Amino acid sequence: MSPGFRASLPVVIFLLAGFAAPLIAVTWFSFMPARTFSFAGAATLENYRTIVESTSYISFLWSLGLAAVTVVLLAFIAYPVAYGLVRVFGKWSMLVTLLFTIPLFVSENIRLYGWVLFLIKNGVLLGTIKSLFGVQAESMLFTLPAIILGMVYVYLPFMLFPMSLGISMVPQDTRDAAVDLGASRWQVFREVELPLSMPGILIGCLLTFVLAVGAIAEAKVLGGQQIIPITHDIEIAFTYAQNWPLGAALAVLLMLVVGALVLLVLRRFDLDVLLGRR
Amino acid sequence: MTNVSLSRRNFMQQSALWAAAFAGAGTLGGTAAQAAREKELNILCWEGYNSAQVLDPFRSSRGATVKAESLTNDPTMINRLRAGETSIWDLINVNNPWARKIMLPEKLIKPLDRAKFEPFFEKMMPAFKPPYQWAMDDSGAQLIGMAQRFGPYSFVVNTDKVSRATAEDQGWNLWNDASSAGKYGILESDDWNVFCICCIAGFDPFKQHSDDEVAKFTETAKRVFKGAKLVGDIATMNQALVAGEIDFHLTGGTYSASPARADGHPEIRGITPKSGPLAGGKGGIAWIEITSVVNNPTLSPLAEDFLAYVQAPDVAHTVAFAEGTYNPVAQMGNPDCFKLFTKEELDAIQWDSLAEEMDRSVEYDIVPDYDKLLDIMTAAKREASGG
Repeated sequence: MSPGFRASLPVVIFLLAGFAAPLIAVTWFSFMPARTFSFAGAATLENYRTIVESTSYISFLWSLGLAAVTVVLLAFIAYPVAYGLVRVFGKWSMLVTLLFTIPLFVSENIRLYGWVLFLIKNGVLLGTIKSLFGVQAESMLFTLPAIILGMVYVYLPFMLFPMSLGISMVPQDTRDAAVDLGASRWQVFREVELPLSMPGILIGCLLTFVLAVGAIAEAKVLGGQQIIPITHDIEIAFTYAQNWPLGAALAVLLMLVVGALVLLVLRRFDLDVLLGRR
Repeated sequence: MTNVSLSRRNFMQQSALWAAAFAGAGTLGGTAAQAAREKELNILCWEGYNSAQVLDPFRSSRGATVKAESLTNDPTMINRLRAGETSIWDLINVNNPWARKIMLPEKLIKPLDRAKFEPFFEKMMPAFKPPYQWAMDDSGAQLIGMAQRFGPYSFVVNTDKVSRATAEDQGWNLWNDASSAGKYGILESDDWNVFCICCIAGFDPFKQHSDDEVAKFTETAKRVFKGAKLVGDIATMNQALVAGEIDFHLTGGTYSASPARADGHPEIRGITPKSGPLAGGKGGIAWIEITSVVNNPTLSPLAEDFLAYVQAPDVAHTVAFAEGTYNPVAQMGNPDCFKLFTKEELDAIQWDSLAEEMDRSVEYDIVPDYDKLLDIMTAAKREASGG
C-alpha cells in the first residue's frame, strides 16, 4: 500500500460512507416494489414505468425551467454587483459582502416568510400603498413571478461569490495592457475581462443551477404551490404517499437529468481549458 | 480599486470552500448518543407534545432525557415504525383509527395496564367514557392507548366573507359553486384533503369506492385544485384568511383556526357542515389522538409514566395550549382541568359550538383505497400547476 493511498484512506472511507453509500441506497431503493420499506424485495422497473406513464414530466420541466430562468436572471444581476465588489466599491466591498452574507445566517424559510409579509394583500408593500394612496393593488403572491423572485433572492450569493472570485482572477496588468494598446472600455470588457472571468461565471451558473433545481420552499411559500416542482413530488412520495421506492426513482431520475446537463455544459466549456491547464 | 491577488489554484480552492460552507450549513447537526433507557424517553408525535412547556417539567422531575419528534401526518409515523424504528421510539401519538386497526394487529404497539389507565377515562368528557372504542382493541379486552386532544376538522371560513350559517348550510357544496374559484385555499394536509374531496364529490371517504366514484373523485380533485388560489401550511392559510387573500380554505377546523382566533381574529372559524355524505348523513369529520406504547424490545419504563403525567389537569391544559395549535382535550371533562381554561382560550377552541360540531361529525377512519385516491389527487395537483 503506497503512502499516498494510506494517507487518502480517511477521506476515501468518509466519501464512501457519507457520499457513495446514500446514493447507492437511494438508487437500489428505486428498484424495490412500490410502497415497500425493505431493500430485500425483488428488483423491478415498476417505479420508473409509473413515472414515465404519469404526468411527472410537468414537475421535471418546472424544476429545470425555473432553475434555468433563475440562472439567467442571476447572471445579469450578479455580474455588475460582483464587478463592483472587486473593482469599484473599494473599502466598502467588505460592507457590501456582509450585506449579502448575513442573510445566509437566517433560515431560508424565515426569509421567505418575510417576503410573504412584505408582498401579501394588506401587507408591508400593498398596505403602505393603500394607506398612502388609497389604492388596493392585487398582490403578486402565489404566482409564478413570486416564485422566481424568491429563487433569485435565495440563490444570489451562490452566483455572486464565485463570480467575484472569477473577476478578481483577471490581472490588472492585462486590463492595463489592453487599454494601453487602444482597446475601448467595451473591448476590454468583452475581450479581456469576460473571457478571463469565465471560470467564476461558469462555476456560479453551475452551482446555482444545481441548487435551484432542488428548490422547493420558494414554490411552496411564495408560490402557494401553484407550481409543483419535482422536489415536491419527491417529498409527497416519501411522506403522504409513503411510496419510498417511487420517491427514490424520482430522485435518481432528477440526479441523472441534472448530471447529464452539467456534463453537457462542462463538455461545451471545458474548465481545464478555461483555467489554462491545457 | 481592489486587485485581489488570486492564483488559479486558490481560486478553485476558495470556490470549493464557499460551496462546501453553503452546502454544509444546512446539514449540521447529529444524533445524540443513546443514554441508558431508564432515563430516556423517545416520543413520536404531532406537534405540541414535543414542546418545552410539556416536556421540561417531566424532564426535570425525572432527571430524564426526553426526545420528541413531531411530524404532521399519520402515515409517515406509522411507516417509521414499520421500517424498524420500534426499537427507537417508546410512545407514538397518532389519530384514532391507526392504533386499533393498524398498529396493534401489526404488533407495532403493545397494550397498556388496563387497571392502571382505564380510571383516567372516567374523568374525561362523556364521549370518552370507558370502554372508549378507539382506545380498545377489537375484542374490547385490551386498552391500547390514551385519548387527549381532539377536534372537528372539515373546513375554515372567514365569517366576515361567508357567514357561519351559510357555510354550515351550504357545506361541501361551497366547493361545487363555480363562483368560489380563486377565493379559497387548500391546507397542505394531503391525507385529509382526500377525505374532503370525497365529501365534495358527494360520497363517504371511509369505504371502498366504485369506479364511478373514483372517476368523480378525479374530476373533483382536478377542479378543486385548479380553482385554489394557494395551497399551504396552517400559518399561510391563516395569514391569507386574515389578509383577505382568500375567504375560506379546505381541510381545517379548531386545530388549524385556533392560532388565528387566539391571535385576535374570531372571524376565522372552523366549520362543520350541518349535513353531508358521511355515515348517518353527517357533514363533518373529527379526529381524536390516541397515544400508545410502542412495542419496543427495550421499552423505557418512563413511557407509561409519561402517559399518566399528561393526564394531570394542569399538564392536560398545557397540552391543549402548547405551542403551535390549540385544541380541546378529553380531560376538560374533569372540572379541575376545565377551570384552568380562560374565556379567551375557550373562544380560541370554539368551545361554544364544540359539542354540536362533534355531534355532526363522524370520526376519522382509514380509507381502504387511500393510495389510489392520493395518487389521483397528487396528479391533479401537479396537472393544475401545468397551466
